[in-house]
Amino acid sequence: MIDTTILSWVTFIYFGAFVFYLFRMILGREFWGKLAGWLALAGLIAQSVALIIRWKASYDLGIGHAPLTNFYESLIFFAWTVVFLYLLIERRLKNRSIGVFVMPVAFLIMAYASIAPGISNRIEPLIPALQSNWLTSHVLTCFMGYAAFTVTFALGIMFFVRKAAAHDSSGVRAFIHLLPSESQIDDLIYSCAALGFIFLTLGIVTGSVWAHYAWGSYWSWDPKETWSLITWLTYAVMLHVRMMRGWRGVRMAIMAIIGFACVLFTYLGVNLLPSLHSYL
Amino acid sequence: MSKKKSGIWFFFASVRLAIVLLLLIAFIAMIGTLFPQREAAVELVGRIPPGLFSFLQKMQIFDLYHSVWFVLLMGLLAVNLLICSLDRFPAAWRRFRLRPVPREPDAFKDLPEENLFYPESDAKKAADEAASLLKKKYHSFQQADEAGSVYLCAQKGRFAHFGVYMVHLSVLVLICGAVIGSVFGIEGSVKMLEGETASGINLRNGNLTMPLPFSVRCDKFTLERYKNGAAKLFQSDLTFIKNDRVIRSARLLVNHPVAFEGFRFYQASYGPVPGKKATLVLLREGGRRDIMNVSTGYTFELPGNEGTFQVLRVEDNMMQMGQAIKVAVRSEKEAATFWVFREIDRIKKVVPDVFEQVPVFNPGLFRPYTFSLLGIEEKYYTGLQVNRDPGAPVVAAAAVLLICGLMIVLFSYARWIWIRIDQVEGRVRISIAGRSIRNNVGLKREVRHLLAKLKDNLENPK
Repeated sequence: MIDTTILSWVTFIYFGAFVFYLFRMILGREFWGKLAGWLALAGLIAQSVALIIRWKASYDLGIGHAPLTNFYESLIFFAWTVVFLYLLIERRLKNRSIGVFVMPVAFLIMAYASIAPGISNRIEPLIPALQSNWLTSHVLTCFMGYAAFTVTFALGIMFFVRKAAAHDSSGVRAFIHLLPSESQIDDLIYSCAALGFIFLTLGIVTGSVWAHYAWGSYWSWDPKETWSLITWLTYAVMLHVRMMRGWRGVRMAIMAIIGFACVLFTYLGVNLLPSLHSYL
Repeated sequence: MSKKKSGIWFFFASVRLAIVLLLLIAFIAMIGTLFPQREAAVELVGRIPPGLFSFLQKMQIFDLYHSVWFVLLMGLLAVNLLICSLDRFPAAWRRFRLRPVPREPDAFKDLPEENLFYPESDAKKAADEAASLLKKKYHSFQQADEAGSVYLCAQKGRFAHFGVYMVHLSVLVLICGAVIGSVFGIEGSVKMLEGETASGINLRNGNLTMPLPFSVRCDKFTLERYKNGAAKLFQSDLTFIKNDRVIRSARLLVNHPVAFEGFRFYQASYGPVPGKKATLVLLREGGRRDIMNVSTGYTFELPGNEGTFQVLRVEDNMMQMGQAIKVAVRSEKEAATFWVFREIDRIKKVVPDVFEQVPVFNPGLFRPYTFSLLGIEEKYYTGLQVNRDPGAPVVAAAAVLLICGLMIVLFSYARWIWIRIDQVEGRVRISIAGRSIRNNVGLKREVRHLLAKLKDNLENPK
C-alpha cells in the first residue's frame, strides 16, 4: 500500500533530519540546522499526505474512519504530533538546538511502528464500541498531550546535557553556545508541560464523555484510565512545585523525565494489564 | 490578619500537604492497577496462599478505589483544597481589586537599558502614540502628567488571579459529583433474549436484583459481522412498557444509550445462548433424505433399527473452519464419533486428503449414512447495562470548570504595564516597565513587543 511505503520513507527522512541536527551541533554551522529543519518539515508534509491517503483508503474499503484506530496508526500519529509540535516550537523560539533531542524520538517511534513484531499496518474495520464521533477528538487530544510531554522529556534530557557540558572544560564547548540557556530550557520545560497538561485533561474529559455513552459510566477504574490519572497527578505535582515551591532547573528536568515514564506506561505498559481499553 | 488561625488550619492550607496527597493518591491508584479489582479478584484464589488472600481482602486491596484508604485520601484532599483556597483567596481578591496608578515610584527603579529608547519626535507626540497604543492593546489606561513628564499605566489579565480557584473548585465539585453518584446512583445489568421482557435488573454490588418501575421488552436483537468475523454492529429494539401500556419504542446501539424515566440503557454486550439449533441432512445411500433440526443432546433412532445417533456439540467456528457439529452414532456392530462441517466441500478443496489425515472429519464415517450440515441458527442474548447516575451532570459541570480554570491558569497571566515619557539632557526618553504574577518571561516578551511597536509607530507615522 502506498501510504505505508510513504511512511517507511518518512522514517528515514526523520533519521536524516536528526543526523543534520547533529552535524549542526558538532560543526557549529547553522547551515546544517536549516537543512535539518526543512527536511523535518518535508517529512511532516509527506507523513500528513500518507495519513490523508490512508484515511481516504479506509473510505474506499467501505469502513471509513480516521486513521487513529489501532496500535500502528496510533504510533504513526504520535510521531506526527511530536514533529508537528517540535517544528512549531522551533519557529517560535528561532532556535534549532532542541531538534537533536526530539527527532531521534520521532524516528524511533516510526521505526518501532514498522519493524516491531505483531503490529499490523492494515486498515481494519471498527468494532462497535469505537464507532463514535468522540474517537477523533479523544485520540487527537490525548496524543497532542503525549507529544507535548515527549518534547518536555527531550528538553529535560537537553537540560542535563547542557549542564554536564558546561562543567566539562574540554573541547566540547563548541555546541554549548548553540543551546538555550539553562533558565530558557527551564521555562520551556514548564511551557511544554503546561501545554501537555491541558491536552491530557481534555483527553481524559473527552474519554470520560465517550465512556459515559459507550460503557455507561464516565469512570470505571480501567487500568488505562487509572494510569492516565496517575500521569495527570504527576504533572499536577510538577506544576505545583514549580509555581508554589519555586522548583527550577535540575528538579524540573527530573520531573519531566518521571512524567514521561508515566506517559509511556499509560500508552504502552498498560497493555500488559487486563483492560477494557485494549484497542491501542 | 485579624483572624486567628490554628495549627490545624496551617496544616491543611499547606501546598506541601497537597503535594503529598496527590502523590499518595497516585500511588494507591497504581497499586490498584497491579491487583485484580472486584469480580476479577477471584482469579487469585488458589494462586496465592489463602492467608495472604484474606489479608489483602481485609486491607481492601481488591476494591481499592472504594476502600477506606482511598476515600480517606480523597476526603483529606477535599479538605486541603478547601482550606488552602479559603486561606489564599482574600489575597487574590485584593490583588484583583488593586489598580495600578500611573505614578508608581518603584516601577521604574533599576530599569534595564533595553527597556528605554530615545525617539526623534517631541514629548507630546510620543505621549499620544503611547496612549493610543495602550488603548488599543489594553482597552483602557490611566494617565498622569507631572513636572513635564507623562506617566501612563494599563493592566490586563486580572481574572488570572481566579484561575487556580476555579481549578480547585472544579476538583471539589468533581468529588461531590462522584459522591452523589456513589450514594444515589444505580449500576445494574440485564440479559435478555428476543421476545423476553424484564422488569428488574441485577445490581453490580452484590447479587441483588432491583425491580424497575416499568418493564422493558427486547423485540429484536440484530448482529452484523465483518468479513473477518469481528462484530460490525449489534443492536436491540426495545419497548418500554408501564402499566401494560407501551410507552416508547427505541433502537439501542453501542455508543447510543437510551434514557427512560431517569434510567439510561446501554447496549453493553451480547453472547451466544446455549442450545443452538443446527439443521442437518441425513442421507442414506440410494435411499431417503431426512432434514432435521437438532441441538446438543438431541438423540434420534435411525430408521430400521440401524442405530442411534446423538448430537454431542454444536460449534459456530470449529478450528477456524466454520460451523460444525459433533455427532456419535452407535449400532450393535459399531460406534463412530465424527464431525460434520458445513463447508466440507471447501475444506476438501484445500486439503484433498483430509479424510485420510483426520478420519473423524469424514461425515460418511458411519455407513451407509452421510451427514451434511445446512447451517446453525445463531441465537444470542443481548446484554444491557442499566444505570442511573444523578452525579453525572455535576461531574460534567466540574469538567467544564476544570478546563476553563486550567486555560486561565496556564495561558493567561495578570500584568501591569507602565510607560514614562520624560526628558533627559534635552532629549525625549521613553521607558516601559512591567510587573506580572508568575510569568516574567511572558512579560519580558510583551514589553519588548510594546517597545518595538511604539518605536515603529513613532518613526513611521500613518
